[in-house]
Amino acid sequence: MTIVLITLGFSAILAFVLGAALGFFKEKFKVERDPKIDEVRNALPGVNCGGCGYPGCDGYAEAVAAGDAPVTKCAPGGKAVSDALAALMGVNASAEDTVAVLLCQGTKDVAPAKGQYVGVPTCRAAKLSTGGTKLCSYGCMGFGDCTKVCMFDALHMGDDGLPHVDYEKCTGCGMCVKECPQQILGSVPRARLGSVVVCSNRAVVKATVMKSCKVGCIKCEACVRACPEQCISMVNGIPVTDYSKCTSCGICVQKCPTKCYKLLETDIMGKVVIKEPVSV
Amino acid sequence: MNLGTIFLASLLVENVVLMRFLALCSYVGMTSSVGQSVGMGFAVTFVTVLATAATWPIYHFILVPLGLEFLQILVFILVIASLVQLVEFYLKKNVPGLYAAMGIYLPLITTNCAILAVTFDNITKNYNLIQSIVYAVGVSAGYLLAMVLLAGVRDRIKTSPVPKFLQGTPILFVATGLITVAFMGFAGMIK
Repeated sequence: MTIVLITLGFSAILAFVLGAALGFFKEKFKVERDPKIDEVRNALPGVNCGGCGYPGCDGYAEAVAAGDAPVTKCAPGGKAVSDALAALMGVNASAEDTVAVLLCQGTKDVAPAKGQYVGVPTCRAAKLSTGGTKLCSYGCMGFGDCTKVCMFDALHMGDDGLPHVDYEKCTGCGMCVKECPQQILGSVPRARLGSVVVCSNRAVVKATVMKSCKVGCIKCEACVRACPEQCISMVNGIPVTDYSKCTSCGICVQKCPTKCYKLLETDIMGKVVIKEPVSV
Repeated sequence: MNLGTIFLASLLVENVVLMRFLALCSYVGMTSSVGQSVGMGFAVTFVTVLATAATWPIYHFILVPLGLEFLQILVFILVIASLVQLVEFYLKKNVPGLYAAMGIYLPLITTNCAILAVTFDNITKNYNLIQSIVYAVGVSAGYLLAMVLLAGVRDRIKTSPVPKFLQGTPILFVATGLITVAFMGFAGMIK
């Protein structure tokens, strides 16, 4: 019986001493923490995607509260969060809601591979070892590195060999944009209207493009000439739209001989994701 | 047993991870990069030595006189967990640099079974305080060694075509098994 009492007494004393010591030292070694960090952290979505480049939402909150990071870095939160952060930090800034758009239509049928690739099945390895598995060295290789980094289940490899973005789930965090070794995923503001070239082939020789992909931009510049607003210009071998002038008239979409011009609002963001490439 | 023998035996012959298969959770979890594994290894070393220095006197000067040896699991877990917490508070306040480098691993260590095993071993092997501390350093150095070895192997695995059914944790255990086989070469070195 005594041993039971001793045990009970000892356990109680031990628990009390340790508890008191912890409580005491917690107060004694208390670190003053900027309450702003918690406010900023509460305004963030808390998905810890890492798209901002900081270790999770906590890391970003600390950086924002310390004034080291801009308030517009949180892509999943978009405009709402950046506005909230701007209000907290007393700055004027606002981020746009963005989504990722694949700037390539080179499905398996229209953009042939240049040979059989048997190495490590990731885009990065294929790019490093062979410079791209397709005849078009700019196009999507289809190993799905982007789908592996997507935390929001918004990117899936289709049977056509291209990743498909689920625009309802995409938060625009940009992890896939950073991951793609071909750099053919673009961050596009969700609200943007206008035309876009869904091709990233920068080879300047028309014949090279035509041989490697049936839906590639062949640099004919028909779009540049056709645009009534003159808002299209060639930049590094790819026509680029000036969205301050584009009226979404759709003339460039009609004029493009290889059908690589698309309208963002109807062809990409709409339910019809990217129209089936028309064989030429 | 002299101190050198204790140290070598706990470091290599009875490596805590590779020969006794303790602390596998943090071993697999914290080895995704060499830097991280070194940080974790040093944090474990620090806490193990501290825990040994705290639990050995508690056992011999409190539990034994009171006849409460059977309480050692409960008491040791409580003491180690509280101790780690205290150290965390202290580092956060007074040595922020060390806290940033090591502190993030401390909560993970609170219930690390390698540390608990060391404190129990010290009792069952009848070590005195000096021997216990040398043993603690040896075991945690062995843990650090195993962590760094696996972290290095993992760097290589990342770029290797691993068969689908072995991807992820399974290939790590296969790799661990192979390192263990290599460590079996040390068996019999100390008798």
